[in-house]
Parts: sequence; C-alpha cells; structure tokens
Amino acid sequence: MNMLAIEGLHKRFGSQTVLDGLDLQVARGEIVGLLGPNGCGKSTTLNIVCGLLDADAGQVRIDGEPLSARTASRVGLCPQASALYRDLLPAENLEFFARLYGQGAMQRRKRVDYLMQRFELTAHAGTRVGRLSGGWQQRLNLAVALVHDPQLLVLDEPTAGVDVQARLALWGLIEEMRDGGMTIVLTTHQIQEAERLCSRVALMRSGRVAAVGRVTELLARVPAQAVAVLQTRDEAATTRHAQALGWSVRPHAGQLLCLLPKACSLREVVQALDGGEVSSVSLQPVTLEHAYLELLGQPLEG
Amino acid sequence: MFATLLDQTLAVAQRIWLEQWRQGRGLIFWALFPALMMLLFGLVYAHNDSMRAGLDAMAAGVLMGAALFFSCLGGTVAILVAERERRTLRRLLASPLQPLAYFLGVVLAQSALAAMQVVMLYAIAYAIGARYHGSIALGALIILLSVFAYVGLGFFFGARFARRSEEVVVALSAFGVPLLVLGGTFFPLVLMPQAMQTVAHLNPILYMNEALKAVAAHDAGLTELRAELAFLVVFCILSLGLGVSSYRHLLKLERSA
Repeated sequence: MNMLAIEGLHKRFGSQTVLDGLDLQVARGEIVGLLGPNGCGKSTTLNIVCGLLDADAGQVRIDGEPLSARTASRVGLCPQASALYRDLLPAENLEFFARLYGQGAMQRRKRVDYLMQRFELTAHAGTRVGRLSGGWQQRLNLAVALVHDPQLLVLDEPTAGVDVQARLALWGLIEEMRDGGMTIVLTTHQIQEAERLCSRVALMRSGRVAAVGRVTELLARVPAQAVAVLQTRDEAATTRHAQALGWSVRPHAGQLLCLLPKACSLREVVQALDGGEVSSVSLQPVTLEHAYLELLGQPLEG
Repeated sequence: MFATLLDQTLAVAQRIWLEQWRQGRGLIFWALFPALMMLLFGLVYAHNDSMRAGLDAMAAGVLMGAALFFSCLGGTVAILVAERERRTLRRLLASPLQPLAYFLGVVLAQSALAAMQVVMLYAIAYAIGARYHGSIALGALIILLSVFAYVGLGFFFGARFARRSEEVVVALSAFGVPLLVLGGTFFPLVLMPQAMQTVAHLNPILYMNEALKAVAAHDAGLTELRAELAFLVVFCILSLGLGVSSYRHLLKLERSA
C-alpha cells in the first residue's frame, strides 16, 4: 500500500487554478521530489497533505486513510524558513512541540535526547536558536518535524538558503532517514538535490504532474545520448546547421542546447559544426535539468 | 480531552514565560514604564493636598491602565505578531494544538506577569503613601477578569490589525490609548462630555478601573460591584469567543499565505 496517494486534486485561489487534477503516489520508504516552476502547485500540494489547506476536489490518503486529525499527526512538516522560537534553546523548541503532540514527560525527554544527538545538536545545546547559523537552524527545523516520529515527512525546500557545507550535511541526514525507511516528499528547485536524494521525481506544470519516474527513467525520455551547449553569434544559422546534422535544438538561457542522438566526442561535435558562427562549445551528459527542459518545455527557476 | 487541553495550555504558557525571561530587556521595559508612571503620578498626588485623597484610587488606576493594559493587551499583540513573523504559526497550525489551549496559555502567561506587576507597583505605591483597603480576593478576581479581557482584546487587535512587529506600537497607540482615555484611566468620567460618557460605558476598561478603584480605595464589596462584575464576566465570555475566533482568523490568513 502507498504511504501517500493523491488522486485528482483540485485547488483554486479566486480565479486562479493552482492544482488541476494532480495525481501522485508515494510508496513506503520512498523519497519523491516535486520539481517545477514557481506557482506550479508544489507548496499547495504539500499544504493540503499536511492539513493546512483544504482541497476543492480530489482525495488524499495517508497510509490508506483519508485526511483527518489522526492522519495529520502521522505527518511531519519541515517548512522552508526555520519556523522556530529564537529565544529558546534547541532542546526547548523540541520539547515544546513534542508536548503539543501529547508526549508524556519521559517519552519527551527520550525523544528530545535522541534527536539532539542524531542531529548533532548537543554541541549547541546551550545556544539560543536565534544565535545559531542558518545551517544549524535548518537542522533543528528538520529535527522538530520528526519530534512526534511521523511516518511521512514533508520537506519544503529543505536546503534553501543554506551554505554548501550545511547543504551537504542536511543531505546526509535526509539520506540517513531514507535508509531508515522514512517516506519523504520534498520540493526543491535544485536539480542536484533531486538527483542525489530522490527515488523518484515528479515534474510539475500548471497544477499537474507532467512526468514522474526514477531519475534514470526521466533521463531516458530525453531523445539524446549527450547534450552540446553552444554559444553562437547567429542563432538562426547555427540552429539550421545543427538541425541539418539531425540534432534537436533547444534555445535556453542565451545558449543553444543540441540533443545529440549518438554519443560523440567534443572534437567530433566541433568538426561537425565546422566553425561557423559558434564561439564556444561544451559537451555534457544528459542530466535531470535537460529532462526537465525537454519534458516541461521551460527553465527551472529558483 | 481535558488533560490534553490542560497540558497544551501549560506548554504554551511555559514557552511564553521562558521567552519573556530570556528577553530580559523587554521584561525590564514592561516593568519600567508602569513603575515610572506609578512613581510620577504618585508624587504629584502626594504633593497636592487637594489630590491626596485620590492617591489610593490612582494606584489602582495606574495598575489597571499603565501596567496591565500595556503588558497584557500589548504583550498579547506582540506574541501573535511574533508567531507570524517567525512562521511558527504555520507549525502550530500543522500540530494538534487546540485554539482554546493557545488562548488559555497566553492568559496564563500574562496572569503571571500581571501578578508580578501587582506586587511591584503596590510596593512603590505603598512607599509613596497609597494604601489598599479592600478584599484581596475580590481585587485578585477583578485583576484576573481584566487580564482575561485584555488578552481577548489583544487577540482581536493582533489578529485583525497588526501584521508586523513595527505595527504593534502603532496599533497600541491607535486603538489602545483612546480605550484608556475612555476607560477613565487619565480623567474621571464626570469630566467627559455626555456623549463621551455614553461611549465610555461600552468600554470594558472603564468597568475594570471602576471596580478595582472601588475595592482598593473604598473597600467596596461584591454587592456594590454587582454591575461592574457582571459586565466583566460577560465581557470575559465574549473575550474568549473573540480570542478563539481571532486565532482561527489568524490561522486562516496563514493558510492562504
């Protein structure tokens, strides 16, 4: 049975349709990433799953049960900005939220100690949250989401705004949770994050899932073995030239992305282009970003 | 059900106490303002023979107006605005916290602060020469009802009008100070034009002031304060409804954010 099953979810805000029949299934122990441009409905989906918003139509089931107060307590939410009490210590934040979830004193103490150690927060036990760095605050933010031992963890851009070192540490923690069997749904704007963490990725557009699958499956849907990125002085001429070679051409961020149907070396690409108006060429393997561009037809923001 | 409500109420109150304790400077300002008001008003009353008879009532008025109003009403607005700014409201919304427990938690936290203010201000008032003549239990009941009412008003203003912390002071000045004036905190009701007096009778602060002044200065009992107490009790029930519905309104805003 799926841990999370979303069927035909609709949501409108005034005249704007934010979710337009979204379907998504998340199996137990999976990490599914929602990837899509701003306004495509990622956060709205998470808010409905967490019980913060009501859907206009459609169904959400958690572990087979429709959304209710009971299912809400099985979901842990880690909001994008660290939603914490800045004048309290890390353990005091954990303790407060544990208490709201009805944990008794003994259970609470055990859980807080466990999370403080697991997230390596003990070294900062005496520091008020407001004085912790962004990375440590985000760690605590994640720990608070786990305080009631949820079955489903919802992460809204878990590494947004943190430095590289903190991001790597957070990825390590999320991977540990995945290895421990936790089911996770996350939103992200970072292709690298989705590639590294997610068992499956759902590409969203206009309130629907446009494509969903393992990263390798999504990559396989790009009709290319490699991608040549060209900088050119004459876009039209270069496009015609590349198309004559049998390459599919996608203009993107002032460059041309050429989808090469066969693997070839950089020398072969340069020779095939034969100089022309091209000022620079680089060769890349097919990545999730290319799959995103190919399947959604628009660049990733963020 | 009741045990959950109680535990959540205590959790919210404890969290607020801890935060207030850690924000030492803020706590000093909450203490300094009413202490100075008590001292300054007290010295003026004590210095003038014609006003000395009003010293006992003045002490009760300063406690109700300068201390409890700003700490309980202003403090509640500040708590709600901070929840929004820190985005903790979102987390509370996702948790099983009951709106009633949140409201009662704030009332409990503010009641403790009020108790400290009563002790501090009456120590100053006593040193200046003011005396408390009435029943301590009745005074405590009036103060408790007033804290409850102030917190309810604080929820209303905090949820409906103040969006950012900078707006707290403005909201307090815009809505709070007129309420204080109309509550007879600065001038006796008899000095006001008739129309103002009519409006003043709709203001809960007037009943809090009148009730506490009557107990503190004239040893008034339950029978004499029937009308004021009845109004305060009704207002507290309204305040509870206002507080819980304002909290729900705040959650609704947060949901659509």
